Parts: sequence; C-alpha cells; structure tokens
Amino acid sequence: MDDDDYWNTSETKESAFSFDDVLSPQEILAIGKKACSGQSEDSVFNSSNINSTRRDLVPLASLVSPKALELIVLAQSGNDLKDAMPEQHITVAVTLRRLVLGRSCSLHVHRSMKSKTELLDGAIELGDGNAILAIVCFLLQTLNKKLVHELLSSRPLALSHYVGYLHSEGKIAELTDLLTMLDRSSEAAMFQFEHMVRCHGDDVEALLRKSGNLQKNHFTQPHVDGHYIKMLTDYCKLLEWQKCADKKELRNKSSLRCLSYCCESHWHEGAGNIMSPLTLCQRQQITPLQYDWVVLNVHANANKWDIVESLFTKKNWFGRTTVSTHIPIETLLSRLAELKASEHIMATCVDKIQSNEERIRLAHKYKIHSVIAESAGKQKDRSGLFGMT
Amino acid sequence: MDQPLSTRLISLCLISQHKLKSILSRCGSKLDLIIDAQLIKPLEKICGVTWLRQHGVDKIYKMDNQLGTTANQSKLYLIPACLSKYKCVLDQISSILSQNSSLADANCFNIIIVPKKIATFDSILESKGLYDIVKLHSFSWELMTLDEQLLSLELPFFYKQVFVEQNHSLLSSVSMSLWSLFHVTGHPKYILSLGKLSSHVMNIFQVYKESYNRDYVCNNTQEISALIVIDRDQDYGSAMLTPATYSGLLNEIFSIICGHLELNVKETKLKKGKLNFSTQENKSDKNTVMVLDSCIDNLYGEIKHRHFSEVLSVLSSKAKLLKNEDIKALGIQEMKHFVATKLQQVTLFKHNLVNHVLACETIISEMNNKFESLTQTESEMLNNRNKKNNFTFIDDNFGTDIHIYNSLRLMCLLSLTQSLSYDEYNSLVSKYLLAFGYKFMYVFNNLIRSGLLVQPTSPKLSLNISNLSDRLPKWQNSFQANANKLKQLPSNTENENSPSYVFNGGYVPLAAVLCNTLLNSESLLDMLNKLSVINDLKIGGEVIDRLNNGMETLSDKVGKMSLQNNDCCIDAKALLKILKSDSKMNKGVSLKPRSILVYVIGGVTFAEVAACDIVQTATGSKIYVASDCVASGSDIMAAHF
Repeated sequence: MDDDDYWNTSETKESAFSFDDVLSPQEILAIGKKACSGQSEDSVFNSSNINSTRRDLVPLASLVSPKALELIVLAQSGNDLKDAMPEQHITVAVTLRRLVLGRSCSLHVHRSMKSKTELLDGAIELGDGNAILAIVCFLLQTLNKKLVHELLSSRPLALSHYVGYLHSEGKIAELTDLLTMLDRSSEAAMFQFEHMVRCHGDDVEALLRKSGNLQKNHFTQPHVDGHYIKMLTDYCKLLEWQKCADKKELRNKSSLRCLSYCCESHWHEGAGNIMSPLTLCQRQQITPLQYDWVVLNVHANANKWDIVESLFTKKNWFGRTTVSTHIPIETLLSRLAELKASEHIMATCVDKIQSNEERIRLAHKYKIHSVIAESAGKQKDRSGLFGMT
Repeated sequence: MDQPLSTRLISLCLISQHKLKSILSRCGSKLDLIIDAQLIKPLEKICGVTWLRQHGVDKIYKMDNQLGTTANQSKLYLIPACLSKYKCVLDQISSILSQNSSLADANCFNIIIVPKKIATFDSILESKGLYDIVKLHSFSWELMTLDEQLLSLELPFFYKQVFVEQNHSLLSSVSMSLWSLFHVTGHPKYILSLGKLSSHVMNIFQVYKESYNRDYVCNNTQEISALIVIDRDQDYGSAMLTPATYSGLLNEIFSIICGHLELNVKETKLKKGKLNFSTQENKSDKNTVMVLDSCIDNLYGEIKHRHFSEVLSVLSSKAKLLKNEDIKALGIQEMKHFVATKLQQVTLFKHNLVNHVLACETIISEMNNKFESLTQTESEMLNNRNKKNNFTFIDDNFGTDIHIYNSLRLMCLLSLTQSLSYDEYNSLVSKYLLAFGYKFMYVFNNLIRSGLLVQPTSPKLSLNISNLSDRLPKWQNSFQANANKLKQLPSNTENENSPSYVFNGGYVPLAAVLCNTLLNSESLLDMLNKLSVINDLKIGGEVIDRLNNGMETLSDKVGKMSLQNNDCCIDAKALLKILKSDSKMNKGVSLKPRSILVYVIGGVTFAEVAACDIVQTATGSKIYVASDCVASGSDIMAAHF
C-alpha cells in the first residue's frame, strides 16, 4: 500500500497524535500568540490574592500559554492527551482492529481481567486466528497460568490455538499438563508420541528408550485406547528386532520393509533364527495376507518365479495344481500381470476360479490364451476361439 | 476498466509485483535472495529473474538447512509462513552472526514471509536476540490466474496449518485476497458463506472494508455478482473421491505445482506412495513440464473437463486432423505463408498433443485395472450400500497394494459415509502401520482432528446408557441424509448433463449444488428453503442491506440475532424464519446473479472446477473458482503427516 494510504486512515492519525512529548506546529505557534493577547482581568485577580507580597512575579498566563499549562498539568497526572480522541478508552475494539489489520499495537494497555477477557472474546467472535494467537500469548505473559487455563478451557477455538502453539513450539511437557488437566490425556499421549518420532529420526536406541518411557507413563489404561497401547508395544518389539539385526538400511523402517529384506537375503533361514522371515512375521503379527503379498513381490522382482510358484500352488488329491494364497484372486492376477508373470502361472491362477463366466472374463482381460482355448473347447464355442486375439 | 475481466484477473500479478517492489525497496541492494523451493513456481508467476535483478537482487539460492556461505553480505529470505522454516532461517542467521558479529548493525538480514507473518513470529525473533537485526516483511500476493476462471493463492501449506494444526492465522490472508480482488471486480451483491472458517473470513473481510472505507472505490460494474465461500470440511466427499475427469486424473498421477505439471511417467504419484520392493532406484531425468492453462494450450482447454473415457478419442481425432494438413500439397507461396503464420502454432500443437497422449497412456496403465472397481466401491459407500463388501475391498487394499495416501483416503471415505466399527478401524490401522511404520500412528489422530476420520470408541468403554444410541445400527447416516436432501446423489436415470459425471456419476460436489441453487432460485426465500438442510450457512451482502434499509422490522430482528456489528453475514436459518413469518419481506428480493465466484477454503479439486463448469454452461452464467490451492485427495492426506 502507498504511504498516502497509510496516513489517511483514522487509526494511524490517532497514534500519530498520541506522542504526548511532541507539540504540533500549531501548538507551538499558539504559545507565542496567546502570550500577548488580552489577559488583564486575570492578572488583577491573581495579584490581589496570592501574589500580592511578591511584586516581581509575572502573571501565570503570561508565563506560559493556557495550552502549555494544560500540558504541564497533564504531564504530572501521567494521563493521555485530551486531543488523543476519547475513543482511546474503548481500546478493546481499537486493539482488535489493529491486530486484525496487522498494525503494530501494544496489548499491554489491557491490564484488567475484564478487558483481557473482552479482547479474547472479541477475537474469537471475529475468528481471526492471528489475533487469537497474539492475545493468548499476551495472556500467558500477563496472567498466572491457572487463570489462563480457566479462560481457555471454556473457549475451544482459543484452546485449540493454544494447543497448536505449544505443539509447534515443542513445549510438550506443558502441553501434556494442559491436556491432562482437561481430561484429554489420550491426545496428550499421541502428541508425546509424535514429538518423539519427529525428534529422534532413525536413532533406534533413543526411540526404544523413549517409547519405553511413553509406555510406562502415558500410554496407560484407561486413558488411551487399548489398540494404540498394543501398537506402541509392537513398535518397541520391532525396534528391539532392528537393534539386534543391526542393519543400517533397516533402521526405523516398517515391519513390511524389514520383512522384504529378510525374504530377499535370509529366505532359507530357519524359523527360530532372528533374521528368518517367519520369525519376524510371528513377532510383529504380520497378517497372512500381507506376508503373501511381500513374498510374492520380493521374489517376483528378483525373478525367482520357482519360489513364487512353489509357495502359492499345491497339488491336490487328483494331482492337479491349485493356487493357495490369501491374496484375492483378482488382485493377484492384476499384480502378476504387472510383474510380467509367465502365462503358465497366470493360467494356474485363473483355473482356481469356479465360475466359468468369471474365468473367461479374466482370461480375456489378461490375455491368457490357454485358458480361453480350453474353456471355449469345453463349451464347444467356436466363436470364442476366433474372438481370441 | 474497459478490458475484459479475464485480462484484468491475469493482471492481478501486477499488484503482487507492486507489493513485492515496495518490500524490496526497503531491503537495500546487492541482495542474496534465498528462496524456499515451494515458493519458486508461484514467484515466477509474479516476476522474472530480470525483474528481481532490477530491484536489488544479485544472486538467487534455494533455501536449504545446510546452505553454505553465499556471495553477498545482505541476505533476503523468502519463506512460507511455517514456524519450522522460519526457525530454520533464524538459526542460520544466528550462526552467520556468531562468525561475524559486526553484521548485527549492518542492517543486512531481511525475511519475507508469504502470505503474512504470524503473531508469534515477532516474539520468537525477540527471544532469539535478533530483533532489529532481522527485519520481517509480510508479502500477501494476490490470487493467481492458473487457467481460465481458475484462481489460486498457491499456498499449499494452508490446509495443513488451518485444518490439521488448527491455527487459523492465515484466514486473514484469504480475506485480504478477496478484498483486493473486489477492488478490481466490484463488490458482489450476494455473499453465501458456508462453514465456520468462511464466516470468519467474511468477518475479517468486513474489518478490512470498513477500515479502509475512504479509499475503497466501490466499483459499480459488479462483474462478480455473487460470492460463495465454502470450508473444505463442508464437502470432504469431493476431495476424497476418485475423479473421472482428465484434469482430475492428471492430478492423481502427476505432481502439479502452480499449474505446471511434471510429466514424470516413471515415478508417478501412485507408484511413489506404494511399498517399494525392488532394490533398484529409479533415477528420474529431467522431465517435460506441461503448463495446464487453456490460454496457452487450447487442446488442454478442450479436454480438461471431459470424462476421461472421451479424451483419447478427442486426441486421436486431433491427430487425424493434423495428418490431413499435408504440407507436401502446398505450393511455394502457400508454403511461405504457412511457415510465416502457422508453422509455429502447428509445432506447438503437435508438441502438446504428444504430451497429452503420453499423459493419457500413463493414466491408463496406472489406473486401468483399478479404476472401475474403485469408483464402483466409492459409489456404494456414498449410497450406503453393501457396507461389508466395501470394507472387504478396503481391507484387501490395505493388505496388498496399499498406498500411503490413497488407501487412507478410502478409509476416511468409508468412515464418513458408512462409519467404521471399532474392530474394522483397528484392523485397518494395524495393517497400515505394519506397511509404513508404527511411527505414523499420530497420522490417525491428525485425521480425526481435521474431521476426516471418526474414531469409534471401544465397546468396553462405551457401555453406559448415554452411548447406547450410538451403538444401535443406523439405517441412514447423516452423510446420506444431507446429500440426499441436497440432491448430491443422483439416481441412475439422471440426464447426461449432471455435474456428477466428474465422479463417474456418483456424486455432485457441494460447490456445484450451491451455484446451481443460487442461479436457479426464484427468490431468496426459495433458495433458503432449498438449502435449509445446511448448517453454518450465512447470507450477506447488498441483498441483506436492502432488506435492512427497506424494512426496519427486519433490521431490528436481525440486530438482535447478531452479536456484534462486524458480522456482515447473518445466519441463514434465522433469516429463513423471519422471511417465512413475514410474507411482505419476501417481495422484491430476487436473486438471479449472472456471475459467481466460488472460494473454497482449504484447497479446491479439479473435479469441483469441472462440475462448476457444467453448471455454468447449463445456466449460461459465469462461474469463477478460487482457492488457496488446487489440491487432490492425496495432497490433503499428505497434509496430515
């Protein structure tokens, strides 16, 4: 905005006049003028009373102008200039406006509890987060904590700004105290957890130590949901495993990432061994579905299709191979196609589907010619065969 | 003033440039500009490097925590209003000062904060002993025109700060952007605000308007006759659903910053978010950049809002047209003419065509297998059908081809439309944490805080009677009840021109519903009746002022309702009551705006833009869409990390 704009607005004018130690040019001129204008009546009145014994005194009015005198008196009182608009007394509205407009303003004139409360309520009513935040910080500086908490606990919008402020400033201990007081200790636990994760990066030892503390002090029934407690316990177990495995690339990686590493490098390791995929699977309670998915992807990517096949197919009583996996068949087919599996594997998978129609649909979708041919043959469907491309 | 509105909207960048110039003039010369990566693209829309050099900038660096020494003494940082980034800059300055303390008096550190400095920034500066050594400047750039009728503030961190961290400090930037926009377009007659944040934005807007009243030239042209402001959380559905339009899908697959799409076909957003099992790293080369602006790329303008299934055929017909323009058949003179006038155009067109085909192919190869089942499941969720199947679909997705953002999106959608039981919720959480790490446990809390996820209480904890009603099965969730009343869930017989095509016929975005209602309502009363199901709806603008002036009784009644004078909008439900009780008031209050500005607070999606476009065509009106940024569902999920 232009400087002109700035000076044209009412607020800045007010503040420009409120420097009580500076006289305006008009006022300075006035001092000279007033000194010689008629003041005879006054001087007679004065001399007859107090000043009669001291002849050498000049009349007060000729000593200083009335305006200057007023200032002298005012200076003694420490009050604001009269010129500085009477509105200065309703400062809550003025302050709020200045806050919203981003102009400099001092909140410290608001010393009474009443005006502090009004400020806060005004900002909440308006909804300007910046003003709310500024006022909350001001309250923290000038009121004792108990009063601040009292004010905030009945004002959710201000409270959430305060919580956000403590969180972003990393004042986790204070945040925990606040939330515990408000009976929201499960949230406090989660904030503690987030803070820990963000602070310690991939330092397994530190994470392990801290999450142990969290488990004892914050993730305790009945405040925190049972499932989150279990998740934290599982996290500790995984960190312990990672500490034992002592692999740089696995530090603070997810369970499935670790599993895929084990499948890749320790596939043949037996069940009791720490690096065995099966051990990790049991330890972290990886679901069979997720286990199958990881195994499929790891071995297919490494082009070890024999392992994939031996794992996902088994011979039934009639000597026919069938697919056995927890992965839903459509998902499996789509993934196999992406991994560029052989037609033989694809065909084995499609064969598992009971419904004839569905089988043919998928066979067409993934262009598994042998299945299309077989199905068409069974149904004596010439056109189906010819439709094959 | 004679220029068409579109030209003037593009020219808004000149105001931004002027604002930046006034800041730079206070920062001295021979500056090292150190800019946060996030802000580079938007800044390019405002000024070029040459312009920066003309205004005191010497060298330009990308902001980095480990930034070494730079060429000049004077440093000018340009960062977004994020606390962590701000602190990082202050740390850097402190370390420079510790090596050379004489710099403290040299007046050589300036930080520009986009869009504005937050209340705590000054006190942090003071507490670090840097007050007066470092100068802070707020740079609130204006809305940027990304495409025809699409405006954005390009503040991608806005959603995270306002909805996840619940710090509403940046709301006033939205108000300010509207306030300066209306200097250009004139003040709209009607204002609809939907949601608490929107109502706050309009309150702050009112403060701006009143404070600078003297200079506020009220433009009589009123090229935007109505303003609709919506909080993102009023329509999370539109942000979570998988779009079916071309532009929507582009944003699902590629990263788009400030209208610039990086055509990275190897490392798409979808691939990046999945578990990576292969050991080889995909080193991506420099990718082609596509500018998604119909003014530059006509072809994009033609296909951006289309249902994806139509796009390839449009592209191939264009290719055929090109083929027909056989230059061999041209004579020498014709050839000369062709080279002089058309060649460049044709080359550009070809170039664009190739890029769009490549983008399409990528979308097909990434989405083909999943698109149908995905949108079908989403549609079932929206209509509250087959909950069990829907859950199985999502549970399988979490167990197999899980995506760090998109899978969460599905979970949130199910939670909002059909709600999750305690066990279902935990099953998904467990699988997610196994896949991506327990460290992301806090993400779920963030999702709950921003209203995207509802955490079911443990059955053990909720045995008291007050909670019993919650545990009874619900035949219809509040989501469906509201959506049905607003006609957001079309039946199959719906005509082809329904905006629901943007979600494959499943859902009409709320923004489109509001525009449609506003454009088609006979009177204020009619509109309020149609929208009576919405909470937190407020009405403001001239239409209310006129009611106020015309009939004192109303202003009395309204006066009693609003708590403070600075409330420029009044609650729709209360207004409806008054209008109903007094039939006289209803006379003469017709609406019929010709042009609407829709402002979504917390990011707008391309699907919503397309839906508004359909409404615009059907009603012969003009609808402009604005937001703090153009986001996709996965961007919104990413904000919770």
